[in-house]
Amino acid sequence: MSSISLKYKSKSGNLTAPGDVDLGAMIPLATVTPYTTTTTVEFNSVPGNYSHLQLRALVMGSGYSTLRFNADTTTSNYRSHYLGGQGSVTFAGSDANAAYFANSGSANGMAVILDLLDYSDTNKYKTQRYAQGWDNNGSGEVYLTSSLWMSTAAITSLKITAVTGTFASGSHFALYGIKRAGA
Amino acid sequence: MAYTYSKIATYTVGSGGILSMAFLSIPQTYTDLVLKISAKSDRPNEYQSLVIRPNNDTANGTTRTLEGNGSAASSDTTASILIQNLQGNVATQANVFGSADVYIPNYTSANYKSFSIDKVGENNATTAYADLTASLWSSTAAITSLTIITGNLSYPIMQYSSFHLYGIKAEV
Repeated sequence: MSSISLKYKSKSGNLTAPGDVDLGAMIPLATVTPYTTTTTVEFNSVPGNYSHLQLRALVMGSGYSTLRFNADTTTSNYRSHYLGGQGSVTFAGSDANAAYFANSGSANGMAVILDLLDYSDTNKYKTQRYAQGWDNNGSGEVYLTSSLWMSTAAITSLKITAVTGTFASGSHFALYGIKRAGA
Repeated sequence: MAYTYSKIATYTVGSGGILSMAFLSIPQTYTDLVLKISAKSDRPNEYQSLVIRPNNDTANGTTRTLEGNGSAASSDTTASILIQNLQGNVATQANVFGSADVYIPNYTSANYKSFSIDKVGENNATTAYADLTASLWSSTAAITSLTIITGNLSYPIMQYSSFHLYGIKAEV
């Protein structure tokens, strides 16, 4: 059984009842920190009562990974585009049949911030926007990446799968819900 | 009390679409503003930009953009505060909406205001636009309103597009 502790609501130190606590707009939902090397990370039973999701990750280990929603493995339902730089050149491209989550060339890790707006809006296909990059003291890449899941279903689960390489110890995946005004 | 990341206002476009929307009377109690946009325009088979006007100022905005179009990268400048090539009404992808974050640090300061914008459009085809943008509003006035206008008045912002304004409060 979980419990809720009384929290300080203001700098003045006034205690409030749990029901009065407004935690603001950005709420931590779940965190995955692999204990050993793994190839998949999943967030299931994602609540639908937020407006947006944000996934913040540190992906340790070289290789690339993909993102799937609601266990949909139909590759033709996914598409990716990217804008990147390597320190001396810029590039852009697209990939059919995949939503790429991370593509790291460094065992030192790749930082990823993924925004998923209106993830439960059944009038929209789901567009993901990522800021991500890695640096390895002499090499590195930075990306603004998008991907598309061509489904109007509300997102209830996310699965990140390492296609090459693995998620090494030290990786960290944190999912947040962001409320809308009035929620 | 202002929390670190607080919701200020949300607007979702209804049937028929809109040419513009505005967040008015923005509280001056935060440190930074974040505007999250999931939107598309009614422009057929073309991508469509959105213009941001702080305090409904039609001048004093400039933008520098790094853009990818799905096959090449380029950079350009614009004499307005622009979310470039957000999303048009691509015929084969009627349900696709672009995604953007607009970050406005220190929006009440007496200095000129910098904007950082990252935005993507999508499409089940090679062409889709991703943009990293730096903008400047050359005004020392505190930002009290943000007006967002379709970049081409012939093409409204479509139903289900959503605009979400948040305030970020730093510890001081």
